[in-house]
Amino acid sequence: MEQPAVDLSVSLGRLQLPNPITVASGTFGYIREMEGIVDVGRLGAVIPKTVTWQKRLGNAPWRTVETAAGLLNSIGLDNDGIDYFLAEHLPYLRRLPTKLIVSIAGRTADEFARMAERLEAAGGVAALELNISCPNVAHGTDFGADPVKCAEVVRLVRSACDLPVIAKLSPNVTSIVEIAEAAEQNGADAVSMINTVLGMAVDWRRRRPLLGNVLGGLSGPAVKPIALRCVYQVRSRLSIPIMGIGGIASIDDVMEFIVAGASAVQVGTANYYDPQVTLRLVTQLPGALQEAGVTSVRDLVGTLRVADEVDRG
Amino acid sequence: MLPLVRGKVDRMSCSRSTDLAELAGARSISVAEVPVAENEPLARDTYRLRIYHPPMARRFLPGQFLMLRLADCDDPLIGRAFALYDTVLDERGEPCGVDVVYLVKGKLTRRLARTPVGQRVLVWGPLGNSFPPIAVDEVVMVAGGIGQTPFLAWARELAGQRMFGEPPRRVPVVPRRLLLYGTRTADLLAGLEAFAQAGLEVQLATEDGSRGHAGRVTELLEKILQCGKRPAVVACGPDPMLAAVAQLCFQYEVPCWVSLETPMACGIGICFSCVARVRQDGDWDYRRTCVEGPVFDARCLVW
Ligand SMILES: Cc1cc2nc3c(=O)[nH]c(=O)nc-3n(C[C@H](O)[C@H](O)[C@H](O)COP(=O)(O)OP(=O)(O)OC[C@H]3O[C@@H](n4cnc5c(N)ncnc54)[C@H](O)[C@@H]3O)c2cc1C
Ligand SMILES: Cc1cc2nc3c(=O)[nH]c(=O)nc-3n(C[C@H](O)[C@H](O)[C@H](O)COP(=O)(O)O)c2cc1C
Ligand code: FES
Repeated sequence: MEQPAVDLSVSLGRLQLPNPITVASGTFGYIREMEGIVDVGRLGAVIPKTVTWQKRLGNAPWRTVETAAGLLNSIGLDNDGIDYFLAEHLPYLRRLPTKLIVSIAGRTADEFARMAERLEAAGGVAALELNISCPNVAHGTDFGADPVKCAEVVRLVRSACDLPVIAKLSPNVTSIVEIAEAAEQNGADAVSMINTVLGMAVDWRRRRPLLGNVLGGLSGPAVKPIALRCVYQVRSRLSIPIMGIGGIASIDDVMEFIVAGASAVQVGTANYYDPQVTLRLVTQLPGALQEAGVTSVRDLVGTLRVADEVDRG
Repeated sequence: MLPLVRGKVDRMSCSRSTDLAELAGARSISVAEVPVAENEPLARDTYRLRIYHPPMARRFLPGQFLMLRLADCDDPLIGRAFALYDTVLDERGEPCGVDVVYLVKGKLTRRLARTPVGQRVLVWGPLGNSFPPIAVDEVVMVAGGIGQTPFLAWARELAGQRMFGEPPRRVPVVPRRLLLYGTRTADLLAGLEAFAQAGLEVQLATEDGSRGHAGRVTELLEKILQCGKRPAVVACGPDPMLAAVAQLCFQYEVPCWVSLETPMACGIGICFSCVARVRQDGDWDYRRTCVEGPVFDARCLVW
């Protein structure tokens, strides 16, 4: 039987992706580590580990602890800084046969803007993701927890460069819609959500926290309902495109996020425990779209049917 | 070409071995869902698990490890690291399978102990560096508890019994090979016949004195070093034991490597959770044990 062609391409504001399956920052290293394991040319985009202005050692071990169907981490943005990134990682990354989205985290709005300028000047970057939601560094969520600060950093980055900008949001806030709105109004092309959910683990026998940094961010299947809720809330109130993140590990997960309102998804923790999961999702997507009765991903985004009388939160 | 480390190590090699280009080119990792082929008890709470995967088995080097988890299982979720215990050969003598030995400790290993043959597991490997080829007269392997697992394959290699890797790597035969193996109690000692068959001389220690030297395995090492011997020492076990071994080796000025059992989440370098403090330019930096280790020159680590 003739299969109708399916269109996997999606757009996030000014950013066009060949398919909606991408990888979450911090869960795919600097991409090079996955050479020989995942053919990244088949992914919609790649997002390397967040870069900061200066080198950061990261937090003391233990940095990860497994919890029920989830992973707590307190890596703490361990990275070698923007100079090293530009010199050692970007030349490799920009040659990859896929879109490159670079994740950046500044301590100040100015640091975000300066990194944005340098990355645009260096070339080969398709978009920026602003990590304003890392729970594992002091002030890591400052910009993602306050709509005024979120507005400031998005505005400054937009005026510093012409690259499409994605603001990565934290679930650790009272109203994620408020933060997303600030990003939208100040020129963000898209928002991605969620970063990890603040949590902790305790060894009662030794009366110690298990993580070196005491608190950490929860990820994996355990957080998927929270992430879906965030995507749904933002989608029902705003029109900014969304990248869904949180516990995605199967094609059903991908479809759930798309229906709830995500135009694309990022796979995170699943890469750790199932290194080729992204390839499987790309392979399975056309069949799932067919099952949903659509010929393009775009036709499915945000098609969740909710009764009229429901309060959309 | 393999860099050979001779008798005394005169060159510190703590430089960044993650020249990432080199790393990507050098690695060839298989990811596979395979059935458990064997799951046999070896000692109290200790089992040998076998899987068949010829491409993975052919590439495995002593000191490397794989990550393993139960397929289609969300809890436990994350893979666990297990060292290569031995490769399994087919009738032509080609490696076709991999054995790991595990101690029942927590979530995954408790489940594994009850796992029937045929249950599917997801494995990826071979991972990490490997034991360095060394040209010395004597190697002393120091194993604390389940830290014994990486030494069987290496003993076979150093004895010239078996070649590992693809293409098979050729390492100098080390004439004298001694294993110092300590556990808490005698019933935890596992694989002794296999070690003997691999041509290892074995000295045992148990903390409760139920077999061999009553006390710690590091006391056996100290006795050997006190006699004026100058072997190369390689240790695997709990961190405090490794620190004690490294200290002795520094004191007696013999070369020392340690294989770390840092908790890992991915095993392939993408999560940055497995870091150890590695010396660099008079200071130190956190480095990923799963790519730059698990085997380190003891002098490169901050103890
Ligand atoms: C390179 C390498 C090779 C290894 N080879 C072997 C081997 O050959 N055989 C073998 O039996 N084991 C080996 N290990 C150790 C093995 O990976 C662990 O013992 C295994 O994770 C136990 O899993 P579990 O689910 O049974 O225990 P878990 O439930 O993971 O808990 C095990 C113990 O560790 C503690 N723990 C929990 N989380 C952490 C954390 N984040 N960091 C530190 N401790 C934690 C728990 O409190 C518990 O006491 C190796 C480890 C490494 C890094
Ligand atoms: C170990 C670890 C490191 C992470 N590092 C980063 C990071 O550097 N930058 C970032 O924006 N998000 C980081 N994240 C968050 C993920 O990108 C993702 O938002 C989150 O894990 C939820 O998705 P998941 O459940 O699919 O993992 C990290 C997550 C984990 C588990
Ligand atoms: S275990 Fe993930 S980077 Fe080493």
